Formats: sequence, C-alpha cells, structure tokens
Amino acid sequence: MNSNNKNIKTMKINYLNSNIMKTSKFILSTILCLSVLVSCSSDDDAPSQPNEEEVITDVTLSFTNDADANDVVVLLSVDEDGEDGPLNPVQTITGHFTAGATYTATISLFNSIENEDITIEVTDVEPDEHFFIYTVNGLDMNFTRSTNDVERADGNKLGFETSWVANTASTGTIRVQLFHESESVDDSNEFGTQSGGSSDVDVTFTGVSIQ
Amino acid sequence: MKYYFMSLMLFVFGLHHAQNCNFTLLGEVKDFHDGTPITAANIYIKQLDKYIISDFDGKFKIEDLCKGEITLVISHIGCETKTTTIDISGDAFKSIALEHHIEELNEVAVKGSAYRNTTKTAQETVLKTSTIEQYSHLSLGDALKEVSGVSSINTGNSIVKPMINGLHSSRLLILNNDVRLQDQEWGIEHAPNIDINSANQISVIKGSGALAYGGDAIGGVVVIKPSRIIRKDSLYGKTIIGGQTNGRGYNLTSSLHKSYKSGWFANVQGSLKQNGDFKAPDYNLTNTGLQSQSISVQSGKNNFESGFELFYSYIHSEIAILSASHIGNVNDLINAINSKEPTIIRDFSYDIDNPKQEITHHLLKGKYFKRFKNFGKLSLQYDYQNNRRLEFDIRRGELNNEAALDLTLQTHTLLADVNLDANLNHKVNFGILTRYQDNYAPNTGVRRLIPNYEKYDFGTYITSELQLNDNLLIDGGLRYDFNRVDALKFYRVSRWTERGYDEDFAHFVVPPEDGQDFGSDLLANPIFNFHNISASIGSRYDFNDKNYILVNLSLSSRPPNPAELFSDGLHHSAARIELGDLRLNPEIAHRISTTYGYENTNFNLTAELFYNAINDYMYLRPTGVLQSNRGAFPVWEYEQTNAQLFGTDITLSYDFANRFNWHNKSSFIKGYDDDSQPLIDMPSFNTVNTIKYSNNEWHNFSASIQSEWVFEQNEFPDFNFELENPSTGEIALLDISTPPPGYHLFHFQSEATFALSNKTNLNIALGINNIFDTSYRNYLNRLRYFADDLGRNLTLQLKLNY
Repeated sequence: MNSNNKNIKTMKINYLNSNIMKTSKFILSTILCLSVLVSCSSDDDAPSQPNEEEVITDVTLSFTNDADANDVVVLLSVDEDGEDGPLNPVQTITGHFTAGATYTATISLFNSIENEDITIEVTDVEPDEHFFIYTVNGLDMNFTRSTNDVERADGNKLGFETSWVANTASTGTIRVQLFHESESVDDSNEFGTQSGGSSDVDVTFTGVSIQ
Repeated sequence: MKYYFMSLMLFVFGLHHAQNCNFTLLGEVKDFHDGTPITAANIYIKQLDKYIISDFDGKFKIEDLCKGEITLVISHIGCETKTTTIDISGDAFKSIALEHHIEELNEVAVKGSAYRNTTKTAQETVLKTSTIEQYSHLSLGDALKEVSGVSSINTGNSIVKPMINGLHSSRLLILNNDVRLQDQEWGIEHAPNIDINSANQISVIKGSGALAYGGDAIGGVVVIKPSRIIRKDSLYGKTIIGGQTNGRGYNLTSSLHKSYKSGWFANVQGSLKQNGDFKAPDYNLTNTGLQSQSISVQSGKNNFESGFELFYSYIHSEIAILSASHIGNVNDLINAINSKEPTIIRDFSYDIDNPKQEITHHLLKGKYFKRFKNFGKLSLQYDYQNNRRLEFDIRRGELNNEAALDLTLQTHTLLADVNLDANLNHKVNFGILTRYQDNYAPNTGVRRLIPNYEKYDFGTYITSELQLNDNLLIDGGLRYDFNRVDALKFYRVSRWTERGYDEDFAHFVVPPEDGQDFGSDLLANPIFNFHNISASIGSRYDFNDKNYILVNLSLSSRPPNPAELFSDGLHHSAARIELGDLRLNPEIAHRISTTYGYENTNFNLTAELFYNAINDYMYLRPTGVLQSNRGAFPVWEYEQTNAQLFGTDITLSYDFANRFNWHNKSSFIKGYDDDSQPLIDMPSFNTVNTIKYSNNEWHNFSASIQSEWVFEQNEFPDFNFELENPSTGEIALLDISTPPPGYHLFHFQSEATFALSNKTNLNIALGINNIFDTSYRNYLNRLRYFADDLGRNLTLQLKLNY
C-alpha cells in the first residue's frame, strides 16, 4: 500500500512538472493567439470620414412679390459646421419688403457638407411627419399658407409655400421652425401650432424690414 | 509491524498501570485556514479501535483513557486525513487543525451559509440568492439597491446604472464570474449587460479595496458569482416564472446544474423577459417597452489540486426610450419641463420604436488553476468580450431604420494570479494582467460619439493578508496599471481650433494621403499613455464574537475614459452638446472608511462611514450656449475639480417580537467640488423601513410592508440657463437643476413555499410596488424632466426548485 502511495506521489510530481510545462506552453500560445487577434482587428484602423446626412446647413426663405417678380426678399441662415459645430450661423438678409405688397414664400433646406437637398425629403418624401411654423414679431404682416402648399394626409398644410402681406412700414423678426414627428399639428390659427414634435429647424431672422 | 509493536507496548503498560485508566482527552477539530470548527470529523482511536465523531462545535471527548500514547486518525470529507499521537499522562486537551482547502469547493452544499465575502477589511455586503430572486424581473441595478448606500442613476425604468456612494459608470467595476465587464460602461445610459438571474451571489464592495480586480474602482466593485460547484453527484435546477401588471410584463428563467464526484460539472441557465409600455399613475409612458434574452453555460472540472472552467454568456436586449424624451433643441426641453406631462401619450403597446437601444453582449472565459503543495494556487484566465451597442434615434426617411450610434467593443484579457496560502496566517496574492481592447464605429450618417480606438492595458498587483492574532487581521495591497489609448478620430477643423488643439496637439494630426480630401474635417491620431498607482491597507478587529470594527484606507487612480477624452457632439435626450477634453489627467481618489458591526441573535447593526477625496474628479459642466439652424444648445464640457464625498450608511435588523422583524437601511451622502459647490446627481437622504412577519410552520410564510422614504435633494449645483427668445425677446428659464420633491412609497411583499416532493418545492411570491399609486419623480432619473416615475405594480412570481 505504502509503496503504491509513493508511486502515486512521484507520478503526481511528474504530472505537476509536466503541468508547469503545459502551463507555460498555454501562456505562450495564448499570447500568440492574442497578438494574432490584435493584428487581425487592426483592419479597422482607418475609419471612414463621417458623412453627416442629417445636417441642415443652409436655411433659405425666399419671398417674391406676387405683382413684381423682381421684388425679392431672401432670408438666409448658414451654419457651416452643422448643429454641433462651434461656429454660429451667419444670417444674410437681402432686400426688404414693400409696404402694401403680397409675397409668396418658399423655404429651402440644404446640407452643404454632403451637398444634399433636404427640402425634397420634407416636402415630397415625408410631408406627413413634418410641419413648419412661422412667428413674426414687430413686423406688421399677415400670414397664410398658400393654396399651392403641400397638404399633409391629415389635411393640414405643411407650410412649405406661404403667402405674406406686408402692411405698414416696420422692422422686426421672422422665425421659422420645422417640427418632426409631432403628435398633432394645426394650421387653422394664423401661424400654426403643434405638440409633441422635436425641432429640426429653429431660425430667427432679425432686422427684417417693411419699407 | 509498528502497529503490533505498539499494541504490545500498550498491552504491557496496560497490565502494569491498570488502575490509571480514568483520564479524559478533550479535543477540538478546526480548519487550518481560518480556525472554524469542523463538525462531524471522523476520529479513529487506533489503540481502542473505536470511532467517534466531532460535535457541532468541532469538539470531541474520549474518556477512560489509560496512561500512555494514543494515536488518533482524523478524517473529514474534503480534508486531508491527519494522524496524530498524544502522550496521555493525565486529563488533556488537544487542538487539531485539518487542511481544509477542499471545503471551499463544497461550500454550496452547506445550505444557508453558502455565501462568503470577497474581501476582509473592505465595506462589503453580500446579496444572497433569495434576495436576488426577488429581482428576477428587474435588473442588476435594481437589486443592488438592497445595499445601504447603493442607489442608481436611471434613464427611464429599464436602464438602471448602479451607483455606489454617489459614484457610477466608469468609477465602478463590475465583475461577472471573475471577468471585468467591458461594455461601454462610461455612458450614463448604458446599463450593465448582465442577466440578474445568472447570479447566485452578488458582493458589493464600496471603495477600491479589492485591488486584484482593478485599481480604478473609485466608487466600488460589484462581484457577481454564478452558482458554486459542488463536488458530488447531483442534478438540480430551478425555474422562475413571473408576471407584472405595470407594463404587462412577464419573465421566465430556468437553470440546471449537473455535477459529479469526480469534479466534472456543467451548468446552463437562460432567461426571457418582456414588457410593454409602463404606466405612471396618471398616464402611459409611451415607448418604454423592453425585450431581453440571455443564456449562460459553464462547464469544467473542479478538483482540489487542479481544475478548469469554460464559461460563456450571452445577453441581448432591446430597450425603448420614452418617446417624449426625444427633443430637438433647448426650446423643446423648456416646453417639456413646463408641460408637467409627457408631450406624447399613446395607448398601451409592446412595440419598441425609436428612440431605442439594442445591445448584444458575448462573454467567453477559460480558466485553469493548479495548486502546488506548500506553495499555493496558480490561476490562468483568458476572457473575450464582444459588446455591440446600437442606438436608434428619430431620423428622417430611410435613416430612421439605421442606428445613429453603432459601436463594437472587443476585449481580450489574459490574467495570471498566484495565491500563496501555505502560511495561513500570512497569505499573499499577486498577479499580472494584460488586456487589449478595440472599439469600432462604422459610419452611421452622424458624427461618431466615440471614435475608433485601440486600448492596451497592463496591470500588476500584490495583496497580502496577515492574521496577527485571533482578533486582529491586517491586509494591504499595491497595484500598478499602464493604459495606452490609440484613437483615430475625425474632428471638425472648426472644433479642433476652437478647443485650441491646433496649438497643443498638432502632432496628432494625420496628413491626408494623396488624393484624399477631408474637406472641413481633419483626421487626428491621439495617443495617450497613463501610469496609475493604487494601494490599499485595512484591518479588522474583533472585540469579541459580537462586535467588530473595520478600517480601510485606499488610493485609487482612474485614467479618463473615451467619452471624457473624445466626446464631441449632440446628446439628443439631454438637448446638449457634450465635449470631451484631450488634456484630462487621471483622477486620484483617497478614501478612508470605517465600519462598526454588531451581531447578536436578534439584533444586527452595520454602521459605515466614509470620506472620499478625489483629486482631478472629472465631471460635465455647462459652459455656454451654442446657436445653430436647429436652435440653441447648452454646451457641457468635461472639467476637473478636487471633489470631496462623505457619508454614512446604516443597516440594522431587529427581531422585536416572536416572528416579527424590523429592518432599516438609511444612507446619507454629501459631495462638494473645489469651490464648496455641491456635486451634481448626488443621492439625497433616504431611509427604507421594513416590518416583516415570518412563520416557518406555515410553509415558510412571510409578509412584509416596506416604507421607502426619499428626501428632496436640497443641495445641487445651479446649472440653470436663461435663454432669450430671439423672436420675442422674452427670457425663458431652463430649469434642469432643481430636484423634484421628496417622496414616500409603500410596498408589500409576501411569499410561501410548498414542498411538492422530497426534492421539489414551489415558492409563490406576491408583491405590490407603490401600493398607493403615488406620483413622484426621482432626482436620479434622467427622464424626470419628461414624465413621472412608475405607478402601482402587482407582481406574481412562481419559483420551482428541483
């Protein structure tokens, strides 16, 4: 019995030694595997440049006098580096409204980073999920959505094409907001209301004048 | 031959000294490692050819012994058999220590005391299986709140991040079966990818006392352990089925464990979980459903001398995020806060719409250990984790079906650990770790929140434990970590310049190759190396078997995480721009803690105190407002301050009458920055009292009423904004800082267990959460701006043990 036990002990020691060997082999092979894996995943090294498909860099509101195609007012806001870039939008107001005239306005949304027209996505692809709201402050103007305006499935007009009457001489601001996925919208009051949507565009043009 | 000789000798002695056969030998059998008594050890008295068995306290008594030598052969299951010879010349006492290593492997066989602590001098609380099972339909973060001083920071009700003494995310380490979870834990809305049902025991360690797991656990460590392996032939399992009224949820989990005396074992466990829209007392919380599937398998061979284990776990979750929390700009946020009700309330649905998260996590582990006599135990472990995180936002057109955030994080870790326990009064543990991590973010049509990066970690540690005498234990440890982050990130030139990186980090810019044009972007290759030292020293003093005190001092160091370094973009649900900073230094915490514990048959008290001074504490702070065509956004930047946190956690349990128990847990914490301004997102004072009636004679029936009282947080940093409406000139206040009022909720829980057969029993548990359907908002829920928290919830759970 005793000698048997001894045998087992020596066997165990041998086993132990061989195990240390095995262990070191195991470590070595694992490190090897690891380095292989490392080199494999280095394929990801060069990331592709981000394409910013959703950004709206240029918002343009173009007004044309219904009676005089040469009487044009253009409100332009350019945010060169998008919504999370550090640059603030630069606004350019070209022309002024003529008191007593009626203007038809259309809005244009553009992504200059990807050179992509966003307007179509809103007016043609997903009008039912969008809604424009305008706000006028300090300016003596009346606002309606044009009869040619894009109509949503729920009967509300999108606010893409709008009609503006410049009354008396005044200076003030025009704000345009585009809401996405509103729970409900209503174009029946003057400038439009919505609830539950999130803002895709919110630009206020200051220093707009009627002369 | 020897035997005969001795018998003969005895016989001779016996003949001559027959009148002296009235001596008594008292003895005790103890565990060589920790001195605990060994019950039912087999003691063979050679000379008398007689067997006796040690009693419950490890004690035994042999009477009517004659003068002379006696030989005892002591054996016990799981111990090395020991032979000892005692010279009897009068009444004697003998203490016998058995090598009791194997007992560790068999602990689960002893029901009721099947759990054990991971640390000796740290503030550690262990959650047992029975507690974990109550949270079968919930998440890890919910279950951990059982521990005083542990709260959670939530995004809605399904994304629950544990918070230990006011710290969360990268400041906590979560270990799943000895594998450190690598699952983009930096994100405040990234819940740990763990199925709570895979845990058999969970340890919560406050502070960084457990250095073997990592040196950056500034807040604490959560150690999740699967079922213990029993080294005997057995087959058992359990199934839990549950249903909840709020959210019309159901959960199913099942596990099966097979083991053999030879040491072979196999475990398999799986869970399914689903719920639809939750309900606040006054309205539906539209788009708050969840779907989750998980499975884990484990197999191997576990012997005293050596063993190996293979472990694989998989979890896939799809989590909807409250529709009303998707906002476009700060104006929407002001409207949401002022509206008092969510802006989107629809009928109940199981649908999971955008915004939502979809996360898949794979964990594969292989472990081998070998014990060397008179030396200790060597363990080698390799693990691989693959974490894929998809976050879907509300986007225009086709893009709506594509994830806005898509991250694949792969981690390989190799760990070697040596545990020297030959000298049981002075144990030493050391090891080394190497880790490689790769984060891959494809182009998703929005700028990457986190860039592609590779990370290399190397760590080495040594911990030691010294049992000075029966009452005093000292332990300590030292750890060094090296981290290297190698990232590739496209920055907007405008952002790069605005941050001043063009002056400080021009050497990181990768010039475009021929034919490449990055336009308004530039490609940067930031590489950072961090060296971190962490250390801990602690002691435990047992005044007697009722009173003890723990004192622990620790130093921990955490390098900035990828979000803190590289964040650069719009965070939709918060309507804010978050900016990382390449200049951040590691934060270094000094934590001192002490615990007083009192244990009695009917009264238990644990009182914990801590003070944590964190130098270069990294946090987000609003610094300004940025205008865009989408409106205004506040800008939050990662900054550093010297923070101080201190507080106390109390847990007490008192059997105040027959079958009645009162349990209280309360915690109080304060946190301040350099300028004595309160830190953001600190839990307010809260106290939870439970009165429980239990009667073992009625099928282990118990019923409890719980009061959860959370005070209003009256100390908070004022990060409010005043914004001028550019159109009307009106000033609107963005109040994102003021905490909601305190609240007081009542819960009910009841259960009973019925034996179906010898080995099968059925446990039925019924619960009511928020009995009075109280409306409340939680300061630590990031969706508190948009909606109330959950209303009443009735839960029914059936558990079958077999």
